[in-house]
Amino acid sequence: MYNVWLIARREYIERVHTRGFVITTIMVPLIMAGFIVGSLFLGAHEDMDRRVVVVSQDLQLAEAVRTELVRPPAAKATPSGGISLRAPARTPKFTVDIVQPDANTRALLDSDLDDNRIDGYLWIAPQSSGAPFSYTPRSSSDQVTRSAVLASLNRALLRRQLAQRGVPAANADALLAAPAEVQAARDSRHHDRTGTMVGIGILFFIMYFVIMNYGMNVARSVIEEKTSRIFEVMLAAVRPEEMMAGKILGVGAVGLTQVAIWLVSVVIFTARSGGINIGGELIQPSFTGLQLIFFFVYFLLGYLFYSSIAAAFGAMTNSEQELQQMNIFLMLPLIFCFVSLGTMLTSPDSTIARALALVPPFTPLLMYMRVALGHPYSWEVALSITMLVACIAGLVWLTSRIYRVGVLMYGKRPTLGELMRWLKYS
Amino acid sequence: MSIVALQHVRKVYDTKVAVDDLSFSIDAGMMFGLLGPNGSGKTSSIRMMIGMTLPDSGSVRLFGQPFDRSLLARVGYLPEERGLYKKMNVLEQLVFLGSLRGLHAAEARKRAKAWCERLNIAEALGKKTEDLSKGMQQKIQFISTLLHEPDLIIMDEPFSGLDPVNAALLMDVLIEMRGKGRTILFSTHRMDQVEKMCDAIALIHNSRLVLSGSMREIKARYPRNRVEIQYEGDDAFLRHPAIEGVKRYPGRAEIQLRPSSSIDDDSQSLLSTAMRCARITRFEVTQPTLEEIFIEKVRETATPGEPAVSISKSVAAADAREEAETHV
Repeated sequence: MYNVWLIARREYIERVHTRGFVITTIMVPLIMAGFIVGSLFLGAHEDMDRRVVVVSQDLQLAEAVRTELVRPPAAKATPSGGISLRAPARTPKFTVDIVQPDANTRALLDSDLDDNRIDGYLWIAPQSSGAPFSYTPRSSSDQVTRSAVLASLNRALLRRQLAQRGVPAANADALLAAPAEVQAARDSRHHDRTGTMVGIGILFFIMYFVIMNYGMNVARSVIEEKTSRIFEVMLAAVRPEEMMAGKILGVGAVGLTQVAIWLVSVVIFTARSGGINIGGELIQPSFTGLQLIFFFVYFLLGYLFYSSIAAAFGAMTNSEQELQQMNIFLMLPLIFCFVSLGTMLTSPDSTIARALALVPPFTPLLMYMRVALGHPYSWEVALSITMLVACIAGLVWLTSRIYRVGVLMYGKRPTLGELMRWLKYS
Repeated sequence: MSIVALQHVRKVYDTKVAVDDLSFSIDAGMMFGLLGPNGSGKTSSIRMMIGMTLPDSGSVRLFGQPFDRSLLARVGYLPEERGLYKKMNVLEQLVFLGSLRGLHAAEARKRAKAWCERLNIAEALGKKTEDLSKGMQQKIQFISTLLHEPDLIIMDEPFSGLDPVNAALLMDVLIEMRGKGRTILFSTHRMDQVEKMCDAIALIHNSRLVLSGSMREIKARYPRNRVEIQYEGDDAFLRHPAIEGVKRYPGRAEIQLRPSSSIDDDSQSLLSTAMRCARITRFEVTQPTLEEIFIEKVRETATPGEPAVSISKSVAAADAREEAETHV
């Protein structure tokens, strides 16, 4: 056991001191911070002045739409003082022109749209015609303006109908003032669903990246030891299992260090800036304690699983190039996890999601998603962990066999038959 | 007590027989030479001695016990192909390798420094391994083998690639180790080194043991039928009837005498004939060299149809290559 510690410590110290490690560890949070700050900066300086034209013979209705559009939104309580980066969610400020239609109004407005003079026009045709309302935006991606215009129109129509039924204007205001609010909090585990999703996305990506990257690092390190012939010295002093375990743990500790640094910086940056601007919405990635615990459990198990496979690949091959060819076997399950992400996100408790999450190569990523998003039974979680641990134990045993024989057989890649024979050598 | 004992060891890799029916033993405090041309099975035998591979059949005993990994703490092993962690600082590397063999870090540090001074590479201690010359790296590895003061030192081709000064330095260290009662096994294909240093040898050829025993005993089996003469003048004496074969060099002849019961008289008769023809500056009667014995043995064991000459050539070629390496 002491030897495992010595080997792991050596790997750790050597790797942490490389320039590559320092650069990746620092650059990734910096780029992330740049992205967050940039998104907030762009959001804060976006031009929010909108000019729309309402075309209608019914001037009263048009006027009502205008009133609705220019009415300032209900003032939200904004946290006072604090950090300057904190940007309030912004709503567009409308200028509304009212036009009575004649023969060339449409052509005129279209040319105004083309010349960027207006942001869109709402055409209100007489009731008798088949399609009474149409909105033509300048840019179809300007969802904010579009939804504001349509909502105002609906409210104006509703108000008019209420008035026709004899509801006094004040009562109508009260009826319309408080739209149903979306209650995000469902239970204590999911404070804010969007934030949780983003948080999970970040963790998923980190897991994927680190497993991929550090698994390959283990394989490369095995090949390096074969090329530098150091393993022969090592094997004269330690058991191949110790060598293997030390290497995997040492490289894994480096990955863990990196992840910890990144996570801390994610938490710090998002807390300081109030979130990430995604599609005009401020989203604060949130991690619950339980999520973080499961993240580290599944991250560690996933790393151990994939890196022991990678180590076996390293023991079987003689060069980086040969390793690249084996690489695909390591990547396929991870890519599959990535592909099934959609299913996991939308229905984490569906039968297919439950089945997939129990397949050991997929467990680390998919079961983690289920724990974070869905409601897996505790026996499912326990079973997935047990199976994964059993698989890892089997793999480490298998890999150290391959390693022991493979490192001594340099020169050519083994055939499958040879591999089977290697396993029989004790 | 035999420190190392191999009995009827056989190892086959796929279809290639690496070692076949190999038996020999090494007594405590001996300097033992494992000899043979390249690819004859030396490294395979050594790897089985330290449990890196297991024999297909036969047994390996270390320190009088069946092989067990715990015994490796008493063994120092220098592999044929040198390997060190390239990016690691030399001192840290030595401490790491020492710790793996059970030394405390502080003790390993102290010994590493002492050894580096002894081998004149103290200035390398703070450097990265990859910045050192090949010879220096080899010395570092040599030190790492001895750091934990093993009772059994196994070195696969320890002097290959070293210049004569450094090779002599390491040989002195090994001889000193033997003086301290350590058992040393080293493999080589340089017969002259073995002849000088070893107490006992085992000769391997084509995976099989050709010859083994103590140096003195092996030599004693052979008659003193080699004569070397340095002379000035006429070489007519080389037609003497007792001469079976001769290699001529300028002013020097290496002579092999015909087998006979009175071989000592033959050499004296040759000397007096020679003195009549030429001025003799040196006259030496010896047993055949180890290399000659080896070539002869290989010829004897060569199966019909297998050209024995090519074997001696390959040995000679290997030696020549070694020579070239040494003198570059």
